[in-house]
Amino acid sequence: MDLALTILGPLCRGALTALQVFAGAFVLALAGGLGLALACTFGRSRLLRALVALYVEWMRNVPALAHLFLLYFGLAAIGWRLTPIAAACLGLGAVGAAVLCDIFRAGLSALHVGQREAALAAGLRPGQVLRLVLLPQMLRVSLPAVGNYATQLFKDTSIASAIAVPEIMFYARNLVTATFQTGWIYLAALALYACIVLPMGWQFARLGRRLEQPR
Amino acid sequence: MNDFLLGYAANVDDWLPRLVSGAWVTLGLALAGFALALFGGSLLLACRRSGHAALARAAAAYVQLARAVPLLALLLALYFLLPQAGLTLPAFWAGVLGLGLQGAAYVAEILRGGLGAVHRGQREAGLAAGLRPATVFLRIVLPQALRVMLPALLNAFVSLLKDSSLCALIATDELMLTARAISSESFMPMHIFLLVGLFYFAIACPLSLLSRGLERRLARGRRVVGAVA
Repeated sequence: MDLALTILGPLCRGALTALQVFAGAFVLALAGGLGLALACTFGRSRLLRALVALYVEWMRNVPALAHLFLLYFGLAAIGWRLTPIAAACLGLGAVGAAVLCDIFRAGLSALHVGQREAALAAGLRPGQVLRLVLLPQMLRVSLPAVGNYATQLFKDTSIASAIAVPEIMFYARNLVTATFQTGWIYLAALALYACIVLPMGWQFARLGRRLEQPR
Repeated sequence: MNDFLLGYAANVDDWLPRLVSGAWVTLGLALAGFALALFGGSLLLACRRSGHAALARAAAAYVQLARAVPLLALLLALYFLLPQAGLTLPAFWAGVLGLGLQGAAYVAEILRGGLGAVHRGQREAGLAAGLRPATVFLRIVLPQALRVMLPALLNAFVSLLKDSSLCALIATDELMLTARAISSESFMPMHIFLLVGLFYFAIACPLSLLSRGLERRLARGRRVVGAVA
């Protein structure tokens, strides 16, 4: 079908861009979230923990769209012009860091304190304790929540269309003004998202089941 | 820094009334959308527990699908497709519909989790004591389930509040659209979007804190395996 190709072509190109934004934001969120969670759990400064708490509250209560507008329009007004994709990755990554910080903190507090004590008693340095003992277990515990966040992040890339990132919704809206096939285009876009998000969720669930500790 | 703050002083008389009226629309969107989500979620849960296999599977499929698509796609689809089907909704109600349709899936999952957290024995004991099923549900199961559901429902409401900002992209006259309009008039995006962030923060943060406080308070005194008190 000719129409199918005219619709699916741009939408798939949009999907590739969406995956790019997803990857960039996910990496930023993982790194940031891990850093924040470690600072909160093992940091000794109360000020640091308060600042992190404030950051997390701000990021979790203010819509992602506002953050994207701030980064794209706000920074441009004071001279720092970010590309749409960079602004989207940075904005979604910053929000994700807050979400993952909460998830990783919960994961770390779910670990038995004896793990850390035993590792230190066995002579491992604090860095090694973290890398070899605590983080692997924390990641296993947090996996379902991280998987949830990952699917949510991919869906949130649709917001980036508001700052002109050429992803799925952006192409969908352009196609609508070009061809007026509103029904098919939006249906195709919805189906495309479902086709990416559902398998992603299933894979995370499978990974979680494989990593589960036998009780 | 001073110049930055002066920027606010010069314009705040013009901005604040418009932002406040936008905030009221945002609240309206969130409340109406959440009401629809509660209704729809209860309906979905009833379908799922109804005993009819087809109905249960349809409800489960709806929940999976509604959670697999972005809200923005759903909003755009509703706003532009419904007129073709003969129903032209104003942007506000299209937004409410979109928020409610996706929210219903999340609420259904929250309700399912809450009801599932209540031990089966509670229902069985209630029925064995001679109470009618409806009474068992309303007086025994539901109050216990609410302990788990209330914080989660509050969180869902806060999510809905944040997602209402997407209705700006279907031209609903709420807080984010007002902010964009002011930003394009005044060319001070930094000021305006920081201010709007503060607005959202002021509305959502108390609710988030309430949810967490509620969670802690409702779990207090709960006898868990291994707990001493």
